[in-house]
Amino acid sequence: MLVYPQLTSGALTQFPVQKRRRMRTVMNVLADRTTIKLADPQGEITEWQLEYTGLSDDEVSALQQYFVATEGRLNIFTFLDPTANLLAWSDQLDNAAWTKAPLLTITGGVADPVGGTSAWHLSNSGAGPQSISQTLQAPGGYMYCSSLYGRCPQATTVTLLRGTARGDRSLGAAWNRITFSGQGDGTAQSVEFGIELPAGGSMEIFGFQVEPQSSASVYKSSTQGGVYQNAYFRDDVLSFTATDVNRHSATINITHANRL
Amino acid sequence: MAAFPKLKTGAVAQYPATRSPQFQNQVLRFLDGSDQRYRDSAGALYQWEIRLDELDEGEMAAVEGFFLANQGCFGNFEFTDPWDGQTYPNCSFAADELDLISLMEMRGKASLKVIENRV
Repeated sequence: MLVYPQLTSGALTQFPVQKRRRMRTVMNVLADRTTIKLADPQGEITEWQLEYTGLSDDEVSALQQYFVATEGRLNIFTFLDPTANLLAWSDQLDNAAWTKAPLLTITGGVADPVGGTSAWHLSNSGAGPQSISQTLQAPGGYMYCSSLYGRCPQATTVTLLRGTARGDRSLGAAWNRITFSGQGDGTAQSVEFGIELPAGGSMEIFGFQVEPQSSASVYKSSTQGGVYQNAYFRDDVLSFTATDVNRHSATINITHANRL
Repeated sequence: MAAFPKLKTGAVAQYPATRSPQFQNQVLRFLDGSDQRYRDSAGALYQWEIRLDELDEGEMAAVEGFFLANQGCFGNFEFTDPWDGQTYPNCSFAADELDLISLMEMRGKASLKVIENRV
């Protein structure tokens, strides 16, 4: 699996990042300006313009090698949207995108910490730990940060899951954002992210997010997720400008088309 | 029908905001220089240009999610005019393109145009 490389900082890109969404609607405008529309979901195109400055020689070398490996725009690769929550349906834990353990009960419509009702109540009626998770077709060796808001009626230790890695975090009665960062198995081609609740435990959860970087940013509610498996370089040329010793800049354009 | 997403402040737009009523009339000009004008459709349709700045990632995601949910200009939604609070029940995006720019952390910008549809 060809996967777009992260920088040595663990970030995928730098600011500014420009993302362009292009949909395709076939439209017939009648004389009185009423319209007849037909959607074409396969015509959706997403483009990113990533601007890099201050890259080291090693980072430039990695990007150049990767560009050679894809042979410019010839070969497709997996790209993780640096501006998105990688999880799909992050506010709908009952969606089919999530895998729920059988003895875990989930209830939606709970008041969340940002004034809405998008939080969920999780309750484990089993005699062992139960989890809810989502598997992403993303590289295991990437740096990821998973985060969520949680609270428990009684102080509880919950476990954040990232592949085979586990991170225990304590939650109390007040909303608290917990994070779990790190890299996993470099050979894995998918990673499972989730949360595990101990036997008999219950909690409220909101804003589950996974990002391809070392720290959490503001929570972004998602439906599609941020893993794009058929992305490609927009151009056949990739230019780097040396601005000083061990400092380079570049602009890279990446495209994803639903039709591929 | 989905409603246009509000910012954290509760507003749907920021300054500068542009609102334009648009009529559709036809003008026939004759050889003697006179002309005849007539309405080609009933009433004005409004359009709004909304430029959003200083957005955080959550607000950007909400705008993007709403654009995706509508599949660009295909979908219809209810839009409350930020100028006078009047609700227009049948509006859509004017274009199939949406640009989202993240300048820094919690400093995103987006620009979009909403048009009222003829019912």
